[in-house]
Amino acid sequence: MALSTLGNHSVTTTAVERAILGKGSDSKGLIFKLLVGSSIAFALLVLVVLLFDVVTGAWPVLTGRGADFLSSDLRSRASESGVFQPLRGTFWIGVFVVVFSFPVGIGAAIYLEEYAGDNVFTRFIDLNIRNLAGVPSVVYGILGFSIFVKFFDGFFPNSVGQHAGKTTAAAGITLAVLALPIVIITASEAIRAVPQALREGGYGVGATKSQVVRTQVLPYAAPGILTGTLLSLARALGEAAPLILVGAVQDKLGGRTGFFDFAQFGEQFKALPITITNFAGRPGDDWQEVTAAAIVVLLVLVLMANTAAILLRNRFEKKRG
Amino acid sequence: MKHTTHARSNRSKVLLLALLFGLGVVVAACGGGGDGDGGGSSSGGEGSDLSGSINASGSSTVAPITIRAAELFEDESPDVAITVNGPGTGDGFVQFCSGETDISNASRAIKESEAAECEEAGITYTELKVAFDGIAIMTNPNNSLECVTFGDLYALLGPESEGFSDWSDGQALADELGGSNSFPSAPLEISAPGTESGTYDSFIEIVLEGIVEERLGEDASAAIRTDIPGIAEDNVIIQGITGSDTSLGWVGFAFADENRDTVKALQVDNGESGCTSPTVETIADGSYPVSRPLFVYVNNEKAAANPSLEAFIEFYLNDGYTSAVTEAFGDSGYVELPDDQLQEAKDAWANR
Repeated sequence: MALSTLGNHSVTTTAVERAILGKGSDSKGLIFKLLVGSSIAFALLVLVVLLFDVVTGAWPVLTGRGADFLSSDLRSRASESGVFQPLRGTFWIGVFVVVFSFPVGIGAAIYLEEYAGDNVFTRFIDLNIRNLAGVPSVVYGILGFSIFVKFFDGFFPNSVGQHAGKTTAAAGITLAVLALPIVIITASEAIRAVPQALREGGYGVGATKSQVVRTQVLPYAAPGILTGTLLSLARALGEAAPLILVGAVQDKLGGRTGFFDFAQFGEQFKALPITITNFAGRPGDDWQEVTAAAIVVLLVLVLMANTAAILLRNRFEKKRG
Repeated sequence: MKHTTHARSNRSKVLLLALLFGLGVVVAACGGGGDGDGGGSSSGGEGSDLSGSINASGSSTVAPITIRAAELFEDESPDVAITVNGPGTGDGFVQFCSGETDISNASRAIKESEAAECEEAGITYTELKVAFDGIAIMTNPNNSLECVTFGDLYALLGPESEGFSDWSDGQALADELGGSNSFPSAPLEISAPGTESGTYDSFIEIVLEGIVEERLGEDASAAIRTDIPGIAEDNVIIQGITGSDTSLGWVGFAFADENRDTVKALQVDNGESGCTSPTVETIADGSYPVSRPLFVYVNNEKAAANPSLEAFIEFYLNDGYTSAVTEAFGDSGYVELPDDQLQEAKDAWANR
């Protein structure tokens, strides 16, 4: 059998070539290719239609008002309304997520992957973190209200008469907690993907465990960690449900606190996703345009975070060689 | 090796910080005009040196009036921060009577139970009637129908009328509810606002809710037929009314009044004052039934302690009043109080 195959070498080659490349020879494969191809086409089409719809809707506001739209607050008339307060709120909530959940999350991932042994207890923790990542965001809102808002109630002077703890700080920490499990999971995956040989090489030249982690594992895992963490930031920026529970103002928020004024941490806040909902619920074409413009602002903010992730990843990957 | 990796990780930290900072700067450059512009837009009010914060909550129907008054007031007194939320009249009173808010917007007068709670908490307040939420029920001028009862409207628009496409479909239900109209056998073309409109909610609350509770119980799944087209633009509702001889719909009274030449505002009878046309007078004296007064409740102690709250209410009832009520939705709004009732509100505030 083997001999005869060898003997008919050229005949076999042609037969195989025909089977793989010939017309109509692999109709099932062709259908499969078409199916997966149309899947990507559908996904892209939805995205393009969505973006086109939003951007064309927003165009009159963005070109006609530009900076004015970004610097004014909600008013009775759509033509005077803007997104200054919600943009400020969402930006600082993002900063809270970066400052609180990134270091803690990456730290936890390093511990789980490099230090903790593989036993029932750590597997139990691992399972729980994965479950936490799937908990509906509203639940985090309830947590934020019952813990952080109550905590900050005692912290800030009761200047507005409202629940004094319904502040930017409480919202930021709530979303940081929401992002935490996702940060831990993605960072863990990235650390797990580091080749074992790299660690062994480190030990081989006499490095201690912490030296290996800092000089070998982390730099190698950095691109993956970054991608995951910044994607979780993008998710946090788009959250609305928990913020409603933590007390985001849906209608009119008073005050003219500046963009970089830290006093806002102790004040009530607005956030872009909630403002978009509020705008969208108002009747009339002019409000629909303002809604679309606010969506574009949120998209740009999220895109900037993602661009930062991609740029950093490319940089680290280049270094890694 | 050790050195280079250290330098490398340090540089990456710097880069990360730089990028995040850059993100911040770009956002700030876009929005940075905020504080400057915000202050600058108050060119007319450099005389005011009031500062403080005011917190209002309550009815989402009344919120647009208070918001309009607040933004005009803030234009004059930029250091006053007025926050307005609209969770609903009942929720608003809970916050108000626990001392959380300075102002409570209400689409009905305070209930006894709510007043008792305020009293228990030692909160005294002033009730100010600020406007009327009047709704005109409209049809085409060519329609011979003149006067409808709440029962008729329930028969044509209530949850039990789901699917009715002809006026005569609602006849049996209307008769059962004591109506005396005989509806034509003609297509029922409904042209009405959708859920995003306050007028939609107001219509349900004033006209339908009572009958729904009576007939279907308090936990009825719907308070209105769900197959009506929700039209966002008042103009388009008017077009829908004029477009068919046998149309039926409703908009805020102020807007229907502007279009009184092209649509017919039906008289409404709820059994108390007979068939009544909607006019400024019948709404003001309460004889037109599809209308309700809107209130603002102010915490007296907070007004005494907070000069900006006192000044805001003064502004609300005087300089800002007409604009706040009639421009609550930008170009349209609610029905203003007649002079004597506005004076009553001012007196109530002065004598609190």
